[in-house]
Amino acid sequence: MHLKKTNIKVPLITLENISVDFLENNVGIHSVKDFFTIGKRPFRRKTILKEINFTINKGESWAIMGRNGSGKSTLLRTISGIIKPSGGKLTVSGTIAPILALSAGMELELTGFENINLLLSLSGLKHREIIQLTREIIDFSELDTNTLQMPVKRYSSGMIARLAFSIALAKNFDILMIDEILAVGDQGFQTKCVQKINLIKEQGKTIIFVSHAPADAVKLCENAILIENGSIKQSGNSKNVCRHYEALFQS
Amino acid sequence: MSELLKIYALTKRNIKLRYKNSVIGFFWGFLKPFLYLLVFILIFSTQFSSLGNYVLYVTSGLIIWFYFSNVAGQIIQSIISSADLIKSIKIPPIYFPIAELTSELFNLCLMFIVFLLVMYPFGITYSFKLFLFFPAVILFSLFTLGFSLILSGINVFLRDVGILWNTILPAFFYVTPVAYPMSLIPLKYQFIVKMNPVYYFIELFRHIVYYPDGPSYKLWTGALISGIISFAIGYFIFQKLSRYFISCI
Repeated sequence: MHLKKTNIKVPLITLENISVDFLENNVGIHSVKDFFTIGKRPFRRKTILKEINFTINKGESWAIMGRNGSGKSTLLRTISGIIKPSGGKLTVSGTIAPILALSAGMELELTGFENINLLLSLSGLKHREIIQLTREIIDFSELDTNTLQMPVKRYSSGMIARLAFSIALAKNFDILMIDEILAVGDQGFQTKCVQKINLIKEQGKTIIFVSHAPADAVKLCENAILIENGSIKQSGNSKNVCRHYEALFQS
Repeated sequence: MSELLKIYALTKRNIKLRYKNSVIGFFWGFLKPFLYLLVFILIFSTQFSSLGNYVLYVTSGLIIWFYFSNVAGQIIQSIISSADLIKSIKIPPIYFPIAELTSELFNLCLMFIVFLLVMYPFGITYSFKLFLFFPAVILFSLFTLGFSLILSGINVFLRDVGILWNTILPAFFYVTPVAYPMSLIPLKYQFIVKMNPVYYFIELFRHIVYYPDGPSYKLWTGALISGIISFAIGYFIFQKLSRYFISCI
């Protein structure tokens, strides 16, 4: 039906046996008993992701589902290069626009404009490009100049999401990565985001989307994976995976 | 080049954040050494007649000391205070300590200009020797950065390091001859002070702005070696620890 779904698959992201370990901090005296316990190990290694294998091809859209704490955000951070995997091989060809936290790394004390400047500079853009993109960001976020001159700490979470989303989308990218951000915007902005995401898909770009709402996942993504305790439990068509995801909470 | 722009952006952020919501903002940086200076002049200036020019002696020491303690204090907290950013953007963690250093460096340069002007009535001599300030600052920054990188890396996992640093800092100040001459310390204890690298850097700066003769080659070599060694060790430890930062911030 769609022309973009031709048979040629270009892998953009490949994970081979990716594992991620965290150091779990166990220092500190939390009780009188701790004070007398000798030989308590201060740090424990904890495996967050276990031998993850999967490939995302150009133009595909993937939803990542799973319970809270199952490792979804860690997976996104690993793919975007923020966390180094402790084992396995990760290949990413293409630039990523990550929206990994509601605030996307914004500094709450700084104004909207200052944050636009900061985040775009940190993603490696030059002054001239930033000025150009600021216009687009203002247009897309629908925040007025007055608001953008206020410190971000006075924004509502919806306004923060608007700004974060607009900043992340401003730069040119191949892969869009969204970690549950749509939930906070108002109806108007949510619709706008969905439209924008569909537009991005039509441009043949790749989307990775973390969501707890199966309806959103099915609407936006053709494929999905289900993560349970740090490993992939199921992957494939998003409708199927969502059914499994919903089943997790039935019993 | 674009990497330098990133550090520049972080530096700008630091400078903006530091004095946000304060009325006299930037001038706090000057006020702190000035208050110390007043106290020392009140208490000590008559005591150390061996020092020909006490005001210049103390001020030159204080500027360097506050640069050191500010840089170290900021860098130790730099990873923790930028946790949100580190978790959301791919950026080498070492940029955060470097940006703390550069924003303090900016302060120091302004402070140095004010120092040169204000010290005119107190007998500072203007000569080309003063330009040695810049290579000296580079070496001292390298030393301070390396030393602080170690502490900031460990502080992510054991917050005690930051608390400990704030606790011992005042003591560290008083065992460093910032406000008093070395001759005040009994000969048999002087070796303790001489183990303190900061002492040599302060001496280096005093030879540039206070003593009539410039710094000796021995001082320069010492500064160079301790700068490079400190930075190399700090960089190595920081990079080793940085892969686990995310799990503890």
